[in-house]
Amino acid sequence: MNYYKMILSYWISIVFLSIFGCSESPEPDPVQKPVPTDPPPTEITYDEEGLLYTGIDGLVMAGYQGWFAAEGDESNRGWYHYRAGCGFQPGCSTIDMWPDVSEYPKTYPTDFKFQNGETARLFSSYDAETTDLHFKWMQEYGIDGVYLQRFVAEVRDSNPAGKRHFDKVLENALASAKKYGRAVCIMYDLSGAESEEVRNFVEKDFFELVSRYKLFDNSENPTYLRENGKPLLAVWGVGFNDNRKYTIDDVSVLVNKLKGTRNRVSVMLGVPYWWRSMGNDTENNPQLHEVIKNADVLMPWAVGRYSSDNYASVSSQTLVSDLQWCKSNEVKYMPLVFPGFSWGNMNEGAEYNAIPRLKGDFFWQQVNGAVKSGAESLYIAMFDEIDEGTSIFKVLHEGSTPVNGDGKFIGIEPELPSDHYLYLTGEAGKWLKGGTGFNSSQPVRQ
Amino acid sequence: MKNQLYPLILFAVGLFSCELDNYDAPTASMSGRFVDAQTGGLVEQDLINGTVIQLAEHGYDPVGLQYLAVKNDGTFENKLLFENTYTVQPVRGNFYPLDEQEVKITSGTTLDFEVTPYLRIINPQISYSNGKVTATFSIGQTGAANVRKIGLFAHPNPVVGQPVQVYSVEEDLNRDVTEDEVFTLEIDVINNSSIFGKYNDFFFRIGAIANAAESKYNYVTAERITL
Repeated sequence: MNYYKMILSYWISIVFLSIFGCSESPEPDPVQKPVPTDPPPTEITYDEEGLLYTGIDGLVMAGYQGWFAAEGDESNRGWYHYRAGCGFQPGCSTIDMWPDVSEYPKTYPTDFKFQNGETARLFSSYDAETTDLHFKWMQEYGIDGVYLQRFVAEVRDSNPAGKRHFDKVLENALASAKKYGRAVCIMYDLSGAESEEVRNFVEKDFFELVSRYKLFDNSENPTYLRENGKPLLAVWGVGFNDNRKYTIDDVSVLVNKLKGTRNRVSVMLGVPYWWRSMGNDTENNPQLHEVIKNADVLMPWAVGRYSSDNYASVSSQTLVSDLQWCKSNEVKYMPLVFPGFSWGNMNEGAEYNAIPRLKGDFFWQQVNGAVKSGAESLYIAMFDEIDEGTSIFKVLHEGSTPVNGDGKFIGIEPELPSDHYLYLTGEAGKWLKGGTGFNSSQPVRQ
Repeated sequence: MKNQLYPLILFAVGLFSCELDNYDAPTASMSGRFVDAQTGGLVEQDLINGTVIQLAEHGYDPVGLQYLAVKNDGTFENKLLFENTYTVQPVRGNFYPLDEQEVKITSGTTLDFEVTPYLRIINPQISYSNGKVTATFSIGQTGAANVRKIGLFAHPNPVVGQPVQVYSVEEDLNRDVTEDEVFTLEIDVINNSSIFGKYNDFFFRIGAIANAAESKYNYVTAERITL
């Protein structure tokens, strides 16, 4: 009997479960309602009609400091970037090279004298006449253009004098670039920036400039540099292991903000020389490579990383391998070339001519190395940097510089014309653009 | 009594001391090639003092590094590896440096390295006449590193190269070259019969070394010549 009860209860359970087992499931909606979502953002496309520089390939451009001011100019910043902590008079200055100002329409007298007692004069970067002459030279020597340095520490809200100065230099440079058909690109230098400034200020400042100077307007600024179909913006100073106040993550946020959801700009990053192996001057943080992969162009900082003596050995570990890495990750690679290095006046005890120019051989050695390694563009450090003695513009010859108390000014070698490095830079551009007859020996001027 | 215990203790130690070594035999292997990224050809090497592949097996602290030698023809194979993840990086090579990479090595793992050799030997020709072996060739520079030295190496074994040779001629260049330039190196077999008289056949190999950090000779395949 118990057996029959068990069989009966079993079947009753099956029937009940079949009827009610799924009763709590909601009825399927016969019509799928679409979930309302925003349309995916489309990438910005820019009209390139009328633009002179739609990509970096084949271009040789220099960094442009534009930070020198003169006593008596309209910047009211005194001898800014000429003066040392002790002032600007014989025995006291930050510059190692003295510009050849013979062609400048506007110059200012200094307390420095030549051997013959004549007063030495200097230019101010603030003056439009200065910028005009510099861009005229660029055109004359075939230098494609410049990356205009914009130091966060100079243009932050708490530094109105600096901001006024750099805005004026930018305004002058845009006008001169248009006049002489030279490329320009803004380069933010993050040195001295705070974390918050990197995350928020740079993007805000840049798009204010875009709006104020119509940087992306083809007729207003036909020479503002483009890359990958977008206006290019350079950001220098990510990944250095010199205890900066911002992190790689801060720069990652900045790059994402700059590009926005519609990839509105291309970004070039200035990184330390040993960025790929993350040693020596580079923070050992794999996030650096992720930030680089999100950028469009990479420019490693080579100043001070080698001299002519060890260039072959050092660059054999970087150039080709760096290029391969960048190619694999669809980032363009822009090697840096510099003529030499000297900061004996800016840093007490530092050696003058610490990295000798060797009459241009060192400069050309790097051009040769970069071109033969497959580089398609070059960054020249720098156009007007006389504090660190890397300038390519016209400076006075060794032995013809003003007297500098117990110190000295170094000069370009007497055998060379004062425009030799402008000439070499132009020749490098010809080689990059496919010119023939170039080799490892620096070209002989006709 | 104590002395009688020693054999027993030794026996016990011997019995158990092997217990910790009873790991499984290595079952993983890795083989592959060094391939010229531009030409697709194998990048010839030196077997001795040539490129090595550095392996760091994960899961150990400190990590003991292992090194795999690369064969003359630019291939490599090692069948005695333990299955694991490794950090792999070719080092001390005759090509521009490669970054390390993580590789899970199991049975039959293959891994090719695409590299840019420091130098490429172009249009190599080796001939033997009038008691002299003559090599002509050009060199392609692939980067900033110029040519430090060129060489022609001889040995009865095909693994001939700068470290494995019974006779060689080398010439210092220390300069940039163009691919149009033709170099000629010559070995006088007759006047070195004490070396070349020992065998009928010798292998001759053309090489060139770049001015680069830790650079090694780049080669083409050795050519067998009956003298």
